[in-house]
Amino acid sequence: MWKTLTLASTALALVACSGNKADETPVETAAASPASTAPEGAMPGYNAERNAYFGDMHIHTRNSFDAYIFNVRRTADDAYRFAKGETIKHPSGFDMTIAGGPLDFYTVTDHAEYLGILPAMNSKGSPLSELPRAKDMFSTDPAKITAAFQGVGASVRSGEKIEDMYDEPLINSVWGQNIAAAEKYNEPGVFTTFSAYEFTSVTTEDGEGGFGGGNLHRNVFFRGEAPARAFSTLDSTNPEDLWDWMDAQRAEGRESIAIPHNSNVSDGQMFRLETFNGDPLDTAYAEQRNRNEPLVEVTQVKGTSETHPDLSPNDEWANFEIYDELLASNTVSKTNGSYVREAYQNGLKLQEEQGFDPFRFGMTAASDSHVAGGAYSETDFWSKIGIVDGLPFQRGSVPMPGVTDWANQPDNQTTQNAKHWFSRWSASGLTGVWAEENTRDAIFDAFRRKETFATTGPRMKVRFFGGFGYSPDMLNAPDLARQAYAGGVPMGGDLVGAGDAPSFIAWAIQDANSAPLQRVQVVKVTSGGEAVYDAACSGDAMPDANHRCPDNGASVDIATCTTTEGSGAGELKAMWTDPDFDPAQRATYYVRVLENPTCRWSTWEANRNGTPPNPDLPTTLHERAYSSPIWYIPPA
Amino acid sequence: MKTLLREPLIHFIAVALIVFSTYSIWTEHLGRRGETITVTEQDMERMASLYAAESGALPSLEDMAAMVTDHVRDKALSREARRLGLDQDDTIIERRLAQKMSFMISDLADTTEPDEATLRAWYEAHPDAYTTAPNITFEHVFLSTDRRAATIEGDTTTLLATLNASTPPDWRTLGDPFMLQRAYGNLPFRETVRLFGADFARGLFDLESGGEWQGPVASSFGLHLVHLVSKDDGHLRAFEDVRAQVESDYRETAQRAANEKAVANIIKRYKVEIEGAE
Repeated sequence: MWKTLTLASTALALVACSGNKADETPVETAAASPASTAPEGAMPGYNAERNAYFGDMHIHTRNSFDAYIFNVRRTADDAYRFAKGETIKHPSGFDMTIAGGPLDFYTVTDHAEYLGILPAMNSKGSPLSELPRAKDMFSTDPAKITAAFQGVGASVRSGEKIEDMYDEPLINSVWGQNIAAAEKYNEPGVFTTFSAYEFTSVTTEDGEGGFGGGNLHRNVFFRGEAPARAFSTLDSTNPEDLWDWMDAQRAEGRESIAIPHNSNVSDGQMFRLETFNGDPLDTAYAEQRNRNEPLVEVTQVKGTSETHPDLSPNDEWANFEIYDELLASNTVSKTNGSYVREAYQNGLKLQEEQGFDPFRFGMTAASDSHVAGGAYSETDFWSKIGIVDGLPFQRGSVPMPGVTDWANQPDNQTTQNAKHWFSRWSASGLTGVWAEENTRDAIFDAFRRKETFATTGPRMKVRFFGGFGYSPDMLNAPDLARQAYAGGVPMGGDLVGAGDAPSFIAWAIQDANSAPLQRVQVVKVTSGGEAVYDAACSGDAMPDANHRCPDNGASVDIATCTTTEGSGAGELKAMWTDPDFDPAQRATYYVRVLENPTCRWSTWEANRNGTPPNPDLPTTLHERAYSSPIWYIPPA
Repeated sequence: MKTLLREPLIHFIAVALIVFSTYSIWTEHLGRRGETITVTEQDMERMASLYAAESGALPSLEDMAAMVTDHVRDKALSREARRLGLDQDDTIIERRLAQKMSFMISDLADTTEPDEATLRAWYEAHPDAYTTAPNITFEHVFLSTDRRAATIEGDTTTLLATLNASTPPDWRTLGDPFMLQRAYGNLPFRETVRLFGADFARGLFDLESGGEWQGPVASSFGLHLVHLVSKDDGHLRAFEDVRAQVESDYRETAQRAANEKAVANIIKRYKVEIEGAE
């Protein structure tokens, strides 16, 4: 199996895809907690001013058609056990344990297309295993395996069913199993899960071949009851049809949200200024999109989609974990239409010119792991597609076995895949939410109001408020959060102007088990441009006239990955006002928090291997967090 | 449950008869091969109680008919499959049989009744299993290192005195804003590390509980003055309190050992040859 799969995967390219706490939750003591704040029936730990909870809303298991071919055999049960702190096996044979301790919420999002069909095709006795395609897919002939698998990928992309493989009762039954697993592990107050799946739409690259093309994937998850079948690209490849279906489900009481991801490899399609079929956008489109997609995934293993150096030449931190090759190909994705910050700007343009904005989304992050467990830590990374990228040499952090230096690397499929794809993938990311308690309702409500932030792996926490009556001494008031809520809006909110400049509170604390923070920035986007302002600097420093913090002296010893002691801050906080504020102009503001530099995963792996880091890769990175924006709207 | 089931059983039998008649062609076919599928009273009681256990209600006649139909269908198909030899070399069936065998062994394997001394010895040999996890209930006032770089030491001393004064102000109005909660109940050590880091967790758990505010305890965020409401360092629970668990742990371990031995004895009856092995 190993051999066949290695061959299959190298030839193929389907790098698809899209893509607890074990112990008690901290609780406020009854005596200390103001009685008025916790409603009847609240969970322990209820906090009217909201707690930060971390989770991953994007996980695949054996039931995803691509994961199975990557030799993944872990189930939804295994995925939830992993998130709660248990150790599970990677298909390459090593143990995976979650970095940073159990998560608060976690969601299995297998591809809906041919959900659970590949495992059945590989089960002796199943009628599906008798199909010629099954015999080819699980044969020992790499050409046959590739052709069989490419056929499936092509069907997912084109939306044309392979009739004999499309066993709808089986697909629905496996969907039911994933729903049952989510129900089983959901534990109010301790650990939250949702019934969810991935809608795997891919734009046609050239009308030929398999799965290659621009990524229009999104994850759909349900607040409560989930429908008996999942709408997939085999129903329609048009995401607008998915939204119609979600609207219809909503009308019947089944509320859901879809989160698109990997806009960075969408070939300019994710935030294209036309409908799927090329018609002009309009108010109805914007309303439907915002209703169904209030969030976007901004960072994950296949790169970060905040912005691109070509789009943000004046942002010194824009060149971060950029990955830009279309799914299963070496074609570079179009930049315009592929990044979140540009979408915010285009949304404001549309709003000003035509009166609607389809891109008013908050930010989340996820791993998109296809091995049931996310690799969030630079120090303990296993990438995401099983036996294809499970070992360091497969992902280009160390030279091929038998080769000791980078100059003598052989040129083969493995090194090409590592160079184009896997070496450029990231140990990222997690979603943070501000919610009163760890329950489905509270966390889903936080998603709905976009009170979310995205991190590239560490669990730093960030709050962002905007208001018109904030006074500077509030920043040091012990009940800062209460006052900030009372006098303004949190991240994800709209701030309707009254003529004065608003004040913003940008506040971050480090992950107590990761690196300290270097700076907190406010990113401002208008229809006419963008600007990045440092708002708070570590080391008691102030930003200069160009809105930049002085160098805080943080550095990394590449040979050992040890970092400078004493530089960086545990907490950064600022009351910030926009020095270029124009009360008559719409503006979108969000916070970006940067950690001190640390070693990238590829450097850690090189050091453990005793070989020099790959000269084509960055050796260090600034882990970061992005808040959802606050939208300033001028007075009418 | 059994008495409850008795009464409707007569109806079930009637249903079963109907089902059989609808299956008459099928049964005739089987009958020609000299095979009979008998649905016993016990079978029907079992189906009914399984249904009742899952749904919380007794099955209706329609439910019963459906269950009997399924039962007959499964029996007939599985017998037919065995007749065709479909059970040979089937991994799932082999695994299932091996599992059944090992279940059977575990019922048979002999373990002796542990006496009091054996249990006490077990308890003393495994103290970790009977020790509670350390956890802590506390309130804290936070001082930001970044904000008070120069004055933090003096501020901490002053604030500590204020907190411990005879008529202190509400502690929640003191100190700097803190992004996480200001009070935690029964927070386990592991969770404290996750939220505040290892240094703070160690410092906090080193404090003794009492009425006074104490500290400061440092975290990566700053300094914390702490009122330790209660602390459980994790204590060995008394033998008497955990006797039932000790006995169950002991039996489980003894049973497992006995089972392994029984399996080993069965394997010993076979000569194992592995092709290509030395």
